[in-house]
Amino acid sequence: MQTPFDETTFTDVKFDASVWKKLFIMMRPLKRTIAIALLCGVMLAVVDVAYPLLNRYAIDTIIASGDLSLLPRFIAMYALYVVVLVGAVYTFILAAGKIQNQLAYIIRKRAFEKLQNLPFAYYDRTPAGWIMARLTSDSRQLSDILSWGLIDMTWGLLMMIGITVVMFVINVKLALITLSILPLLLIASIYFRKRILKAYRHIRKQNSKITGAFNEGIGGAKTTKTLVLEESNFKEFDRLTTSMRRHSIRAAMFAGLYFPTILFIASIATALVFYYGGIDVSTGVITIGVLYVFVSYVGQFFDPVMQMANILARFQEAQASAERIMALIEEDPDIKDTKEVLARYGTLENPKRENWELLKGDITFDDVTFKYSKGEQVLKNFSLDVKAGQSVALVGHTGAGKSTIVNLICRFYEPTTGQILIDGKPMKDRSIGWLHDKLGYVLQSPHLFSGTIMENIRYGNVHADDYACIEAAKLVKADDFIKRFEKGYDTEVGEGGARLSVGQKQLISFARALIADPRILILDEATSSVDTQTEKALQHAIETVMEGRTTFVIAHRLSTIVHADMILVLEDGEILERGSHETLIKNRGAYYRLYTNQFQHS
Amino acid sequence: MKRLKQLKQWTKGYGFIFLGAVVVLFSLQYFRTLTPLFIQHIIDYIFGDEASALPPFIRRIVAADTAPRALLLVALFSVFFTLFRVVLFFLHRVLTSNFAETVARNLRNKLYNKLQNLSFTYHSHAETGDLIQRTTTDVETYRVFIGDQVIEVLRLIFLISFAVWQMSMMMPLLTLISIAVAPIIFISAFVYFLYVKRVFKRVEEAEGSMTTALQENVTGIRVVKAFANETFEMKKFDERSTTYRDEEFNLIKLMALFWSATDALIFVQYCLTASFGIYFTIQGMMGPGQFIAFLAYVGMIVWPIRQLGRIIGDFGKTTVALDRIDEIMHQVDEHEQDTHYAPTIKGRIDFENVTFQFDDDEQPMLKDVSFSAQPGETVAIVGKTGSGKSTLINLMVRLLENQRGRILYDGIDILTINKKALRKQVGIILQEPFLYSKTVYDNIGIMDNEAPQDSVFKAASIARIHEDIQNFEAGYDTIVGERGVTLSGGQKQRVAIARMLLDDKPVLIFDDSLSAVDTETDIQIRRALSSYWKNTTVFIITHRIITAKAADKIIVLDEGKIVERGDHETLVKQGKLYAELWDIQSQVAQSFEESEVSDDADTL
Repeated sequence: MQTPFDETTFTDVKFDASVWKKLFIMMRPLKRTIAIALLCGVMLAVVDVAYPLLNRYAIDTIIASGDLSLLPRFIAMYALYVVVLVGAVYTFILAAGKIQNQLAYIIRKRAFEKLQNLPFAYYDRTPAGWIMARLTSDSRQLSDILSWGLIDMTWGLLMMIGITVVMFVINVKLALITLSILPLLLIASIYFRKRILKAYRHIRKQNSKITGAFNEGIGGAKTTKTLVLEESNFKEFDRLTTSMRRHSIRAAMFAGLYFPTILFIASIATALVFYYGGIDVSTGVITIGVLYVFVSYVGQFFDPVMQMANILARFQEAQASAERIMALIEEDPDIKDTKEVLARYGTLENPKRENWELLKGDITFDDVTFKYSKGEQVLKNFSLDVKAGQSVALVGHTGAGKSTIVNLICRFYEPTTGQILIDGKPMKDRSIGWLHDKLGYVLQSPHLFSGTIMENIRYGNVHADDYACIEAAKLVKADDFIKRFEKGYDTEVGEGGARLSVGQKQLISFARALIADPRILILDEATSSVDTQTEKALQHAIETVMEGRTTFVIAHRLSTIVHADMILVLEDGEILERGSHETLIKNRGAYYRLYTNQFQHS
Repeated sequence: MKRLKQLKQWTKGYGFIFLGAVVVLFSLQYFRTLTPLFIQHIIDYIFGDEASALPPFIRRIVAADTAPRALLLVALFSVFFTLFRVVLFFLHRVLTSNFAETVARNLRNKLYNKLQNLSFTYHSHAETGDLIQRTTTDVETYRVFIGDQVIEVLRLIFLISFAVWQMSMMMPLLTLISIAVAPIIFISAFVYFLYVKRVFKRVEEAEGSMTTALQENVTGIRVVKAFANETFEMKKFDERSTTYRDEEFNLIKLMALFWSATDALIFVQYCLTASFGIYFTIQGMMGPGQFIAFLAYVGMIVWPIRQLGRIIGDFGKTTVALDRIDEIMHQVDEHEQDTHYAPTIKGRIDFENVTFQFDDDEQPMLKDVSFSAQPGETVAIVGKTGSGKSTLINLMVRLLENQRGRILYDGIDILTINKKALRKQVGIILQEPFLYSKTVYDNIGIMDNEAPQDSVFKAASIARIHEDIQNFEAGYDTIVGERGVTLSGGQKQRVAIARMLLDDKPVLIFDDSLSAVDTETDIQIRRALSSYWKNTTVFIITHRIITAKAADKIIVLDEGKIVERGDHETLVKQGKLYAELWDIQSQVAQSFEESEVSDDADTL
């Protein structure tokens, strides 16, 4: 099954310059560093080309003449050479490292800020792992190739040009002979590089399958035991590792052909230099030093060729990363505030709170229909009038439309047709920030952030002081268990709140909602998975946070439902029944059937 | 010594491939150090009147009377010589990769098997992320170690040694001069890479902290948006991203320093050799060809020695990785010393004074628990979180062991029954079941791949998941699990129930495994079950008193002890813990009944 989010599918994308152009634009603030790095690249190329010439001086000038008085000069030249080389290497690594490091940072920053501005729908259709990979591995790969890759390429290219020029200056015939193997070198390099990358890509794919299997083996260990699946699981796993082994060996063998091939091609060039150069030496046309320079240059030539083939192949590989990153950064949020609204209410980053009117909490659904971009209708001609401070319980099976209503109130989605009014004004006339500022949300499975309990409560209102946070915790009766921790409110909750029990997490999330002091509260109740005592504490917390607020509850607890001002029984996106508990019981309709069923002849 | 043993334990049985690779490597490096001698031969022997440094067997091959002929022979021979090296090189790659990959596969397989066979308790305490790290990164570290690093170290040592040897054959004095700086280079590299590991760790930690912020943001985006904390999140992420960037730049600075400084050392060595070489050549102590060869040999020492220091400085990583792998391998395998007795279980169960305590707990989880259940009975187990309910049922399939007292199936002591045979007959459905990344169909049929479609559908129907599945876009072919479609908690639980129902089980245990299913469906499932499976003994842990009410027997646990037992009516009359729970939960129910009464009164 292939999805657009499948990491392991790499379509053989054509090289697309426009994506890279956008990335180059992002590198603009780094102009100076890039210039320095390129300059260092030039210097390094010069240094590399000069090295054999330095030794040629020793051979042809000093040794040939036997004049030892030239030796200090030679050492001085060498000293200068080392100083230039060391300076260039140091600056080069620093500059290229800076580009890579800073570019990755810029990409991450741009992408993360975009992510915060994208509507909820984006997260609904995009797997979390996919998003994570863009900001971690992709940004790293791209910054890597755009810094080291490009600069190495400059260095390699310049060095090859330098060597070529020097060779022609010294001896045209030998230069032509040596360069005759260049095309062979290039062809072989490109041929191998492409295939080697492909082979390793395949291995990575295989490797991620093995990681997945380990993940499953560990995560599902208990279940595997209860189902006695150890043997059949292992058989599947063995198939994976055996195939991994086969592919790895094949790739290693293929890669093992690459270097020897280059070596062999180079040896032909060396042999040519031996023969033709040797004859020229014997006839006195060239010196021994020249012969040495040519042999050295042949050796120096294949390093940049191999490097450049590698970088080119990697660029092609990185094309997919570049496209995915740019797609994220350029993603157009389909829910956004209009210009007029932004002008009045401000943006997310710079809100104009002085223009924000109070939110009372009247909510009206005016003939709202909703369907997902491709998919069936999940809400049909839905109309509803809720006065500020009322509580509404949403009841119905999974898929009846409960979460959709909640998502629409939060403006995570927008109605396909019809509109939602808040305090009598269309929702779209006010900014998303304004709405969310007055909204509280308690999730079925509470999401906590790693950090202390205090920080998690304060998440509801980042301006609240410790005192207010503790007050909120007291109100929902979370204070008792928090104080019992050794570090009290400074207790770390662990990643995702892993160090707390489900009930504790829920109580903290109630405190968090309370400190936000929202006008509208969304409550997605957990289905019963806690014991009766915790249940009681939660019941109390729910009643506390609901007080005086417009509340929508996706309800599972009967007591919550019974006490709601209005109950909506939903089915297939339509309201089947509405009214208070008493009325609905009297009606003897769907609600009556749904809930009397539980208490009779079970 | 212990380290060496640890390194060797995984390569057992493949030593001969390794040995072969080493022999090939050895000759490969020897031949490589011959290459500078070709030019020496040309310059000193063909053009000059010095001795050729080539080994005699090659000298004989390339011997000729005229200079052009001699040159041609050397040129031709050097090409064939390279071809020969190329073949050896390829052979070496084949041997090495075969060795490393085979060892890696065996290591992965053993780890996987071990992980599957580790006890239930181990998995209850294990951190998945950490284990995954060990099975992937640590295994990879080891593979790189045996496949690349060990070989590379040997290669470098061979190369350096042969180069020194070749040089010393030509001129011992210049040889000494030519290796003067090498120890300093080696020590610099070694110390640097030992030190930089700490910096690396800081970078990794900074990256980890940034990734956590990112991950929590993405998975908790609902909370972020609902509390309008986007700017707060941007600031948080930016802080961590900046720290990561700065830490990484520190590393880059160190790298720049290291590479440039060692480059300087390397060229000091070159300069030393060249200067003295010039002097010796002019003094007539050696030929210009030897001078050139010496320059080539210096290159075969200084660059490799830096690399050698780097790899050896990095070795620490491997021992850490191996320690972490060994830690898993030394855990106890729960099947290792199991019995082979596999009786057919009919469904009678007796607990006789069972007491159980976890190793690191101060109090026993279960205290002196005794009860029995007859085939076909339904037993509900009720109690607070932590009262010992799950411990009790985990003991019933030997997921936990070492209890005091006895547990008997049809009078047979559970400890004498083979674990796998027991678990095949006693089905237990966990509260948070795991679905495998396969199709729903394969998940339900997972215990019997050849199960006919009818029984899969029937199992799904009893578990009330058949209709849900048919409403999926891909129906039964929908991929579920971590890499597939996300099912709701209730759907997951129902799939887990369905896969247990593929064949008749004498005993079936529900560990609160209907908690995420709504009450109505809960009732439907239990009704369907009792009509199909009349002879199955069923244990149900539940928080829903309404579920307990329907059971033949109810056991109430509190702090590890059975505090009440009997049927619903009796327990309500007793007026203790059960009655209290019943009270709380039926309050709401009463509000229904009351409104019904008033409702009836109205109509009357």
